[in-house]
Amino acid sequence: MHNDILDTPAQLFERRTAIKQLAVLCGLALSSQSLSLMAQSFSSPIDQSRKKQGLLKAAQLELVKVLGELIIPTTDTPGAIAADVHTFIHYQLAYCFNQSEQQTILNGLATLDEQAQQRHKKVFVALDADAQIQLLQDMEAARKGFTETHRQFFKQFKSLVMFGYYTSEIGATQELAYLAIPGGYRGDFKFSEVGKAWALNF
Amino acid sequence: MSDSVYIIKSQEIFDAIVVGSGITGGWAAKELTEQGLKTLMVERGRPVEHRKDYIGEGVKSWEMPFRGAIEKNVADEQYAVQKQNYAFSDATKHFYGNDRDYPYSTPEGKPFSWIRGNQLGGKSLLWHRQSYRWSDLDFAANAKDGHGVDWPIRYGDLTDWYDHVETHAGISGSVENMPVLPDSKFLPPFEFNNVEKVIKQQLEAKYSDRKLIMGRCAHLSQPAPHHVEQGRVQCMARNECQKGCSFGAYFSTQSSTLPAAAKTGNLSIATNSIVHSVIYDPKTRRASGVRVIDSETMEVREYFAKIIFLCASTLGTTQIMLNSVSEQFPTGIANSSGVLGHYLMDHLYGAGASGIVPGHLEEYYSGRRPTGLYVPRFRNVSKQDAPFVRGYAYQASAQREHWSSFANKDGFGADFKHAIRNAGNWSFGLNGSGEMLPDFDNKVTLHPTLKDKWGMPQLLIDCTFSDNDLKMQKDIAETAGEMLEAIGLKNVKTHDRKWPPGLSIHEMGTARMGKDPKTSILNGYNQAHDVPNLFVTDGACMTSSAWQNPSLTYMALTARACRYAVEQLRQGKL
Repeated sequence: MHNDILDTPAQLFERRTAIKQLAVLCGLALSSQSLSLMAQSFSSPIDQSRKKQGLLKAAQLELVKVLGELIIPTTDTPGAIAADVHTFIHYQLAYCFNQSEQQTILNGLATLDEQAQQRHKKVFVALDADAQIQLLQDMEAARKGFTETHRQFFKQFKSLVMFGYYTSEIGATQELAYLAIPGGYRGDFKFSEVGKAWALNF
Repeated sequence: MSDSVYIIKSQEIFDAIVVGSGITGGWAAKELTEQGLKTLMVERGRPVEHRKDYIGEGVKSWEMPFRGAIEKNVADEQYAVQKQNYAFSDATKHFYGNDRDYPYSTPEGKPFSWIRGNQLGGKSLLWHRQSYRWSDLDFAANAKDGHGVDWPIRYGDLTDWYDHVETHAGISGSVENMPVLPDSKFLPPFEFNNVEKVIKQQLEAKYSDRKLIMGRCAHLSQPAPHHVEQGRVQCMARNECQKGCSFGAYFSTQSSTLPAAAKTGNLSIATNSIVHSVIYDPKTRRASGVRVIDSETMEVREYFAKIIFLCASTLGTTQIMLNSVSEQFPTGIANSSGVLGHYLMDHLYGAGASGIVPGHLEEYYSGRRPTGLYVPRFRNVSKQDAPFVRGYAYQASAQREHWSSFANKDGFGADFKHAIRNAGNWSFGLNGSGEMLPDFDNKVTLHPTLKDKWGMPQLLIDCTFSDNDLKMQKDIAETAGEMLEAIGLKNVKTHDRKWPPGLSIHEMGTARMGKDPKTSILNGYNQAHDVPNLFVTDGACMTSSAWQNPSLTYMALTARACRYAVEQLRQGKL
């Protein structure tokens, strides 16, 4: 029942230093005892590796990778590929979606390849960016061979990409502003003071 | 905490046994031990130590394999009910009861979502921490309209006890001098953001009977010296409270009442100890102890004490009482009235409205405030002004649309990414919290055949909303929509999520207080009419539900009952 995770002295020191800095930032006077108690909690305590099996075949994974980057491209910050969103989706689909939900995603991916073949005699990933974007715009608008079902697939897939991206370290800390421990709530605060949206909102 | 407080077997006759370690169990343990009583706290779940066992705290989303989601098969097979709760995630799931282990039944077509926190600290680790006093509008409601029996107490009986628990726990909020919502002993309120300030002005100008105030919550906005002494510091505005808070910034058993109780040297704790029943001694006509099943070994053992406090959660307590049968009490201990298990209530949540606030795009906020705003009750206050009895409050907040809101909008690519980075529009929402009437037909009984893996009879929960409840729920959504339209919000949408009862996690009643032993289980001091050394101070004792979040009232009732029990014990009356 208990998770007895022992920290190395170096890890503990690192955390205590981080928390002391935090305390200074927050203007807090903390005793060394309460600091060391608090430091204990900021560990990564459980075995986080629940990755055993992904859902996608190599070609599907490649398609997901390309789609992710079209939805959240590299700009002045890294995009979906750099954030490894496709790998996230590979495992998320396998573990957190039921069979029928998985099938909906696989069908949607297949539809994109079918439409690419019809229009250009190539699979989606072999098209140039303009052709790819045109297909996605048509799918999102449920037009030119795409139906409302396909539009719904795109919405769902897009939200999966966004979830994967904005909860990644790159998405949360480079693209958006990330404050693990804000230190308090300020209600009179201008957007320009941070210049970008918070990764964690409320 | 030193391991020495944990016991397994004991021949000692304790002064008091407290069953449960959540909000009320923690308070009972604190008050009784501080009064010098050797007290045993009995908890069905495992020990959870402050800080050390907050295993989800501080783990970043990208460090979690499914970013906070959990495996579909695990969610469906083990957390089918618990996963409906808003705070359930990979980082909190270990503080929820596993539904496979804690089965219960409901009649076909009458769902009830029973959210459990079966560990040391109980649901004090999971609660949303909103803290509001009741007033005499609430304590006199049953007498006034005839639903349920009259409360045996009034607000004046609780004022000192509200003061007492608020001072220790630390409740932040603003002084408002509103008769429907008496002020607490406050720490400073959290701040409004600038858009909320504008909305407050607009709403209060449009509606003279309504106020938009800062939510009152059990968070140390600015700790008092005695909080610092408890090892607690200021809230850091992470709003990830249900993962556990090493700062001790919100009230929980672990942060607040347990350290106080442990400090007295009078506390012992037996964890992994599922109370099967209260032992009744027909010679003394008193409860003499509790019979316990060890959750790990299945071994049965007994603990004995002079007084017993049941604080095992509303339905947990009633399950124990129904299972405590004897020649004297064939349908459950202290049930000569026959109302044990009846008059189950929850709150009406899930309905409201939201809309877009145009403009203000230079405004933002920093930090994640652990409370929203509050519109205290305005329906049926000075006169009957609605086609239903009782009333409701709204919880509210204004925030800018987040990346997760953009998932519902069309678009993709660089411009879309850029729009998300610039934060979206401001949105504002009102969400109701309404009073559910007490009704004899809303009840729990022991299932005639089904048992859990420890051999405890399962609860059969039979509960639905009444016509009055449904009329109120409709008004909650419609009125919220009207208010948002009236102050010029765009794209206003009302909603009613049709939550089943239970999901508001404010289950109350089933061992109610009352003046008459023929129609109630407990007297005005939470003392069983039939068994004078048996006390029930969790939500089971509630005679009506009011519209406020109930936990603060449970705390006050518990502290008051403890003082009474200690006096009675000293006078040799128990």
